[in-house]
Amino acid sequence: MDTAERQHRWGMAIDLDRCTGCQACVVACHAENNLPVSDPKSAAKGRTVHWIRVDRYYDGVFPDVREKHMPVLCQQCDDAPCEPVCPVYATYENEEGLNVQVYNRCVGTRYCANNCPYQVRFFNFFAPEWPEPLALQLNPDVSIRMGGVMEKCTFCIQRIKRTKNDAKDENRAVADGEIQPACAQSCPAEAMVFGDLNDPESKVSRMAGSGRSSRLLEELGTKPKVFYLQRGK
Amino acid sequence: MSVYLSADFASVEPATKAVRDLKSHGFGLDDLAVYSDEPILFPRGVLDRPRHMSLTAVFGAITLMLVATGFIYFTQHNYPLITGGMPIFSFWATGIITYEFTMFGAILSTFACFLWESGLIRKRDSAPLPRIRPERIHLRVRCNPDQTDAANQLMLRAGASEITRL
Amino acid sequence: MVAATEVIIPYHEVRDDLWRPLGPASGRYWVALILAFLVSAWGLGCWGYQIYAGIGVAGINRPVSWGFYLVNFVFWIGISHAGTLISAILRLTDAGWRKPVTRVAEAITVFALMIGGMFPLIHLGRVWVFYWLIPYPNSRLLWPNFRSPLVWDLTAIVTYLTGSMIYLYLPLIPDVAQLAQETTGWRKRLYSALAMGWTGSDREWHSLEFAMKLMAGLILAVAVSVHTVVSWDFSMSLAPTWHSTIFGPYFVTGAIFSGIAALLLVMVVVRRALHLEKYLLKKHFNNLGKLLLLLSVAWLYFTAAENLTIWYGNDPKEMQVFGARTRGGYAPFFWFMVFCNFVVPFVLLGIRRLRTINNTAIAAACVLVGMWLERFLIIVPTLATPRLAASWGHYAPTWVEISISCATFSGMIFMYLVFSKLFPIISVWEFEPHPLEDE
Repeated sequence: MDTAERQHRWGMAIDLDRCTGCQACVVACHAENNLPVSDPKSAAKGRTVHWIRVDRYYDGVFPDVREKHMPVLCQQCDDAPCEPVCPVYATYENEEGLNVQVYNRCVGTRYCANNCPYQVRFFNFFAPEWPEPLALQLNPDVSIRMGGVMEKCTFCIQRIKRTKNDAKDENRAVADGEIQPACAQSCPAEAMVFGDLNDPESKVSRMAGSGRSSRLLEELGTKPKVFYLQRGK
Repeated sequence: MSVYLSADFASVEPATKAVRDLKSHGFGLDDLAVYSDEPILFPRGVLDRPRHMSLTAVFGAITLMLVATGFIYFTQHNYPLITGGMPIFSFWATGIITYEFTMFGAILSTFACFLWESGLIRKRDSAPLPRIRPERIHLRVRCNPDQTDAANQLMLRAGASEITRL
Repeated sequence: MVAATEVIIPYHEVRDDLWRPLGPASGRYWVALILAFLVSAWGLGCWGYQIYAGIGVAGINRPVSWGFYLVNFVFWIGISHAGTLISAILRLTDAGWRKPVTRVAEAITVFALMIGGMFPLIHLGRVWVFYWLIPYPNSRLLWPNFRSPLVWDLTAIVTYLTGSMIYLYLPLIPDVAQLAQETTGWRKRLYSALAMGWTGSDREWHSLEFAMKLMAGLILAVAVSVHTVVSWDFSMSLAPTWHSTIFGPYFVTGAIFSGIAALLLVMVVVRRALHLEKYLLKKHFNNLGKLLLLLSVAWLYFTAAENLTIWYGNDPKEMQVFGARTRGGYAPFFWFMVFCNFVVPFVLLGIRRLRTINNTAIAAACVLVGMWLERFLIIVPTLATPRLAASWGHYAPTWVEISISCATFSGMIFMYLVFSKLFPIISVWEFEPHPLEDE
């Protein structure tokens, strides 16, 4: 089968045994995707937007405490519970398995956010603002959302599109590891791997198939495409 | 040139007798009309008007049910979008809307049928109306000039308390 | 056939009593009307402010994306049920005592639906494009997602509102026809227009009665489905304790429960304000009070069944919500709700000696508070304790949400005041005992 014509199915594998909880992925996502900046008051009200966040879990009692860091981003579920409940089709699954959010179609009912068991959807309660000079560093490849619209991790779809277009121009297939979302690119421990799950040779497919691999809240049947690798649970 | 008589009755029994007598004397249902300020229940067969409301309601319900199902089927397939692994069209999910539209169809057709059958939206004839007095039953009869006396007699004998010519 | 113990009020007295409220307004009426208008206008202003500034002026956040607005939505749609449910069920079972109550109930239904139906708009992030939920042909070939429970809501509420308005209008026609004959000026024009040329012929009466009988059955079918569909906004979701099969019947029962309570409260006020002591008799309050008690027990049954199942199942995520509701931060609201919804009605309505009109009103008011809390406790604790504990949050309403919530009550009062001034609150032609019936 000609690799250039194969349908992609994007997925991610995150090695929790490598994750140090440094949150470079969070910062990178903010920079890449024009995420709105919050202030302490909004944060206290629960209004921050972090398309990827690092959840910390503590295990055990002092002094035998173990801290687990888990970067949680949109799991791009195959059977996403957020999709059928949107009354205007503002979120649906595209051909490459991505759960896309269409900003200009969103009416703001927030049903999708309620139905997401991972709580990875973020609503713009106000129009986003960037205090100077942050407004000067916005990424021109990513649209700015308005107030009243839902947003979430897109697996850096702008990077996916750019790489696919470049590959098509050069008449070749997209190489494994060529597309890196901002979070995967910035991880110093190289804990996050992004790739094509339809390609059995890709790194993400091999990691997803490893014995340490599991998925978050798998029992709900959402079929997420983010695989977490950890020794034990 | 029709003559309209209005007979005044105190209760439903004499009114029923009058209607029966008039009908047996050759007056049709279209010639008779009963006016009152509250619904009068005549026994079966006395003053039954043709009624199609149940049938209209069912027809309206089925029509909108088919329209709703067809509409949803067409629109969902026109621009199919995968959401959560759910099928594009399934009777489970669309059944609710189909049910509501079925009821909506029944409601609208019942109301429309009421407006038509009661005559509220039909063109009115210029026949005179009796002035309705509370707690009385008024029977209006349309008769030819030569039938006037006969009708008069029948209604008086049935128990009318007053007959006026409109 | 008029019961031997019933006092027959002469017809002209009935008309006078029931038409007197339509006369010139008293000072108290104007004060009430203006106050209600001001509070409602303030609420509308708050909504306008929210549209301008962004929905962040409300207290909703992540993870509690639905707060007061959805609580109010479910609450008011719930209240809309008893109106039609009572007049439909009581019409179908031919309960004669219902006659003075039907229009009061039907008016509550229509107004509660209009108020409740505004909340899906109020809680939208981008309300100016709300019409995308309505299927209309457009150049982008986009249609709403008919699989979404919110679109089911829209269909159900539109159907129910249309049906209720027709159901309110039908028995009104003979009354306004009579009024058209007896009034002058703008009132005569209004009533004549609404009467559509009603003459009182037997053809019209029979058509009307049959239409009302059919509509009663249809409205019943729609009413049950409407609140079921509203409850499915929640139970179609995967959120812990929301994904419950019991929500359909639970919510319908709760809706009838809160609706009867609202009806009782309105009846007490109407009776005193419009001097209808001869028409709204103790037996009406007695019967409705017993109905309220019955539904209180039914509500307790459903609540107990729901919570017992959650507790016994011991699913960790669901137990987190259950704990928050019964032992945690929301516990005071939960137990107060049980007190309002069950203990108070059981005592005040279960003990015959205590079942007075005033006590019935108190029980009804408590039930309304309790049912509002019940909606709150269904929506907020679940959203505040999602499956992933790192995302837990809390919710506090802001002045915008509280204002709009208060404005719904004042809006209801305002519409009811206007309605009772224009139309007789008890149907004159239905109220007349039927000595003319062939029996």
